[in-house]
Amino acid sequence: MRLQLKTPVMNKKYKMKQSDRGHNAPATSVVLASLLLPGLAALSAFAPLSAVAESAPEKTTIAIKYGSYSDSQPGLDRVKVKAPFIYVQAPIAGEWSVEGSWVGDSVSGASPRLWTDRSSASNMSDYRKAADVKVTRYFARAAVSASLSYSDEHDYTSRAFGLDARWSTEDNNRTWTVGYGASFDKIDNTYSGVNTAIDQRKRTKEVMVGVTQVLTPTDIAQFNLTRSVGSGYYNDPYKSFDQRPNQRNNWIALARWNHHVESFDASIHSSYRYYTDTFGVKSHTLGVEWVQPKGQWTFTPGLRYYTQSAASFYVDPVLDAQGQIDSLNSLIKIALLGGDKSADQRLSAFGAVTVSMKVSYALQPNTVVDVKYERYRQTSGLRIGGSGSPGLDPFNATFMQVGLTHRF
Amino acid sequence: MSRWRTLRFEFQAMASACSVQIDGRDERVMRKAAAEAIAEVHRIESKFSRYLEGSVVSRINRNAGLDLIEVDPETKGLLDFADQLWALSGGLFDITSGVLRRAWDFKKALVPKVDELQTLLNLVDWKRVERHGNKVRLSTPGMQLDFGGFGKEYAADRAAAVLLHHGIEHALINLGGDLHALGARGLPGQEGEPWQIEIQHPRPKPSQPLESIALLPLARGGLATSGDYERFFIKDGLRYCHILNPQTGWPVTHWQSVSVVAANSTAAGALSTIAMLKGPDALAWLGTQNAPYLAVAQDGQVMRSSAAGEPRPAAPISSRPPPGRRVFKRTATFALSV
Amino acid sequence: MKATLLSLFAVVSLTALGGCSNLGQVSPWEKNHLAKPGMTFGGDPLDERFVQHIYGSKENSSGGYGVGGGGCGCN
Repeated sequence: MRLQLKTPVMNKKYKMKQSDRGHNAPATSVVLASLLLPGLAALSAFAPLSAVAESAPEKTTIAIKYGSYSDSQPGLDRVKVKAPFIYVQAPIAGEWSVEGSWVGDSVSGASPRLWTDRSSASNMSDYRKAADVKVTRYFARAAVSASLSYSDEHDYTSRAFGLDARWSTEDNNRTWTVGYGASFDKIDNTYSGVNTAIDQRKRTKEVMVGVTQVLTPTDIAQFNLTRSVGSGYYNDPYKSFDQRPNQRNNWIALARWNHHVESFDASIHSSYRYYTDTFGVKSHTLGVEWVQPKGQWTFTPGLRYYTQSAASFYVDPVLDAQGQIDSLNSLIKIALLGGDKSADQRLSAFGAVTVSMKVSYALQPNTVVDVKYERYRQTSGLRIGGSGSPGLDPFNATFMQVGLTHRF
Repeated sequence: MSRWRTLRFEFQAMASACSVQIDGRDERVMRKAAAEAIAEVHRIESKFSRYLEGSVVSRINRNAGLDLIEVDPETKGLLDFADQLWALSGGLFDITSGVLRRAWDFKKALVPKVDELQTLLNLVDWKRVERHGNKVRLSTPGMQLDFGGFGKEYAADRAAAVLLHHGIEHALINLGGDLHALGARGLPGQEGEPWQIEIQHPRPKPSQPLESIALLPLARGGLATSGDYERFFIKDGLRYCHILNPQTGWPVTHWQSVSVVAANSTAAGALSTIAMLKGPDALAWLGTQNAPYLAVAQDGQVMRSSAAGEPRPAAPISSRPPPGRRVFKRTATFALSV
Repeated sequence: MKATLLSLFAVVSLTALGGCSNLGQVSPWEKNHLAKPGMTFGGDPLDERFVQHIYGSKENSSGGYGVGGGGCGCN
């Protein structure tokens, strides 16, 4: 019979009370007092053992999640998406791991807007399934991964692969990463009888380099730079008068920083991403999250702000004397334009805010259930650094996820 | 990085025979990790030994009755820990009690006179250690701090943390009987098996000085033993050991030894020492601490908590040399505790 | 605008890290907080996939977090 060592961090009897951390309040147990000594809590921790270094996972993880999304714009039916996901990660032979996920989205509801113009709404429903698999080989302070992914909707298929490598310095305070990926997409909507896109293709290649640096015992930061080039069919085949360049190249810079706040035993995550592409869109994404564990619970409120400039070929609608969209004249305007043009709201200038809250609960040390709720609002008025595109209705969305993760 | 092997590194530290044993496949990483773990043990010894002039403890002791001394976060953490232990043990675990050893000469086997002991007892009082934030002061000249009660155990845990940082997942650290198991065994055929630890017999037969009294399996965490046989003398048929009650100044007599298993060696060592000091109340107190134990009473009877495992018929640690290669030995540096 | 955002980011990070004299030289025994699950980047893989897919279909910027993810019919 083995000695059962119930590490107090996860034992229900010994929930670490806030008072246990105070200098004046005595700990209720010798073991709890010892966990406050530098470095000793990590020996008993449930979490992955090393901060930056690579090591194969010790346990197999299975996670299932159910995501649901619904959006609305004034006066229109909602778009609803329901997406069950499953994810598995398993160690193999001590030096390898394999992970895979599968998702099946069901989309129903109105299709995205042409200048939020109501009369062109049409109902649609669609089903998308996507799967990916990734194999990683671990070395002493490095790891190499190869991944494949596949996504299929009735009119769009995407196949992609990726290769990435990461290695850490001797003191494990810095990790370099480099990655290469390519995707091959096919668009064909003859199935739905629309026939605007027959056997069109799009190929994208991307390269990413990054560095993760431990700054202090409570701070770790990451910087990634991605360069992507793509060519092929970028039009939206369901929109009339939509003609986009057949090439899109972009640069993306991402900086992230995690800071541990000792007085709350919480972590604050912040990130900033800058994106610029040859469509003329420049965007900034700023995100912040506060991860607050409390015994078996973890609360993570989050805030995200996004702003983008309009694509160079985005066409503003014509507004009437009251500032409302003049549908007829707007259509005439875009129909008469030569060259690249699009009225797709996604290429306009706008800002968006997301407020989120995630709550997770560890039923036992290896089983966690979580719920996340997010509210998203996109309007041209939220744009910072320029004016938003005129004539666009605000767009709101709510998304939720419920999940269960189990390790064994 | 291919075949599994076990490597054992032996060295001297804190006046004890120590070893680090690692099961793994990447020998280069294992050696590097072991070297750094051993360096960490020596670092702690140098920093907290009251015998070294330059140590933090010596600096605090030299300034007894004088100025407040500023200490670093690690020292402050250990002082906070000592404070918690003092409270949890009802005042029995007191790191100012080291001065009492001036009265007890274990080499000359002398029992102290009452007034001699009383003079020293007046210097034993954790309540008279002043602490303000990261500053500390012993309020009366002659008072001394001694980290010997948890120094070796803390070093075992810190060494384990260093191994952990290098990605080592199967290791056993032994600092003179204070152990830390970082994960179970990893050799093929033994994966997941606990390390089998022999508990030293407190009264071994003269022909078998390393006789063991029990086998305790340890898969992860700390195991420490406190006993009345580590330093003692016998006079007129009575045994006087080195574990002294800080309130009376006299050695404990109730248990021959107490071994405790806990999440880490620091906790295990504190629990076993406090158990020895608590005497007849030890087992009930260990129960409130949810600590598995193996205790040997004065009559030789072995008492085990129900959580302690039954011995398994596997090869015990000390009776046969382990299949690893002996790698290097370091010679003695300085003693951390009497 | 880009300049103000970048300088704001710099000010915030420098203020927070201000008191540290030896940036980046963290010893193994000081990394207990960094090993906590709340301190990793990327978090829950399914959470990220779901949320990034939504943003990818409603906004024009996607990516920057990793390579190899496929496209979808969102253009």
